[in-house]
Amino acid sequence: MTATRPHHPRRKIEILTPMPLLNRVTALLKAHGASGHTVLPALAGQGAAGRWERGHATDAESCVMVVSVLGADRADALFDALAPLLADAGVAWMSDVEVLRGEKY
Amino acid sequence: MTDVLSLAGETLLSPLVLFFALGVAAGFARSDLTIPDAVAKGLSLYLMLAIGFKGGAAMAAYGLGPEVLAALAVGIALSFALPLFAFPVLRGLCRMDAVNAAAVAAHYGSISVVTFVAATSMLQTLGVAWDGYMVAVVAAMETPAILTGLWLAGRSGARLGESSGALGREVLLNGSVVLLVGSFAIGWITGDKGLATISAFIVDPFKGVLCLFLLDMGLVAARRFRDGSAVNGRMVLFGLVMPLVGALAGGLLGLLAGLAPGNATLMAVLGASASYIAVPAAMRMALPQANPAVSITLALGITFPFNLTIGIPLYHAVITSLAGGTP
Repeated sequence: MTATRPHHPRRKIEILTPMPLLNRVTALLKAHGASGHTVLPALAGQGAAGRWERGHATDAESCVMVVSVLGADRADALFDALAPLLADAGVAWMSDVEVLRGEKY
Repeated sequence: MTDVLSLAGETLLSPLVLFFALGVAAGFARSDLTIPDAVAKGLSLYLMLAIGFKGGAAMAAYGLGPEVLAALAVGIALSFALPLFAFPVLRGLCRMDAVNAAAVAAHYGSISVVTFVAATSMLQTLGVAWDGYMVAVVAAMETPAILTGLWLAGRSGARLGESSGALGREVLLNGSVVLLVGSFAIGWITGDKGLATISAFIVDPFKGVLCLFLLDMGLVAARRFRDGSAVNGRMVLFGLVMPLVGALAGGLLGLLAGLAPGNATLMAVLGASASYIAVPAAMRMALPQANPAVSITLALGITFPFNLTIGIPLYHAVITSLAGGTP
C-alpha cells in the first residue's frame, strides 16, 4: 500500500534580473512575504539588447536568476509589483508547483 | 616629427600594447583563450590596490598643496562638463534617443582606471615624471559625470529607476572605488615606509600583472567589437573623436592650471577615457531603459583600444610640445 503524498500547491516565481537590480528584486520578495529565495548564476544569454556574458569588465550586463516559491495570493501580488521594475530589463515568469514541507512557504 | 614617430613606435611595441594586441587577435580569431572570470576580477583588484597605494605614498611625500587642489578642481569640472558636450553630439550626429545619449555621455565624462594605469606605466617607460596625487584625481572624476548624465536624462523626461540614496551608495561604495580610495589612504598614512614593506608585491610584479590584464581586455574588446550590432558607424566615429576632444580639454586645462607636463598628460588621458566599470552599473540602476550594450561597446570596444594604442602617445607628444618640451 502506497502512502498518500502530501499535496501543497504553491506558485514558483523565476526572475532573470540584471545584477545591478538584484537588491531591489530581493527587497520586493521580502516586502511581499516570501520566506526565502535562491539566487543562481547565469553564464550568458541573448535578448532584445543583444548578447551578454557574465563578468567581463562590468556586472552591468550580467544577469542572475532568482527563484522563490510562495502562496498564490502573495505570488500574484509580487508578480504585479515586479512588472514596473522589470519594464526595461529582465524577465519573470510564474508557474504552479507542488512542494514538500508546505509549512515552509 | 621624428621624435613623435619614434615615441609612437616605442609605445606600440611595448609589452603592454603587444599583449593587448594578442588578446584582440585571439578574440577575432575566435581562439578558446580565456582568462577565467575570477582571475580577471582579481587582477583588476590588484591593479586598484597597487596604483592606489603608490599614489598615496607619493602624496605623503608631496603634501596637499595648491597644485593638488588645482588638479582636483580641473578633474571634477571636466567630469561634470564633458557629458554636456557629448550629449548633443550623440543626439545630433548619432541620432541617439535622449536616454541612451545621456547614459553614453555619462560614460565619457567618467574615467577608465585601466587606461590611466597603462598611461602611467608608459610614462614611466619613457622617463616622464608624474605625481601620485593624480590617483586622487582619478577617484574624484568617477562620479560627477554620472550626476550630469542623470540630469540630462531627467531633463529629457526620462524616469529614474532608483532613489538617489541607493544610487549614491552604489556609486560611492562601488568595489573598485572603495579599494582605490582605501589603498590611497593607506599609502598616504604609511608613506615610503609602508611602500617599502610591500613593494615586492605592488611594485615589481605590477607591469607583468598589467600585461595579463590587458590580454584579457584585448579578448573582451575584440568580442565586444565582433558582436557590435548595438552600434553603428556614426557611433564608432563618436568613440574615436570624443577622446580627442576630452584629451584636448583635459590637457589644456591641466597646463593652464600649472600642472607639470606628465600630470597634464595624465589629465588628458583621464579626459579621453570612458568608464566601463563603475558607470555601467550605476546607469543600469538609474536608467534601466538605456541599452548597456551601446555604451559598453563604445567605451570598451572602440575608445579603450584607441587610447591605448594611439591616444596616449599622441596626448603625451602634444602636451609636451605645448609645454615647450620635446616628446
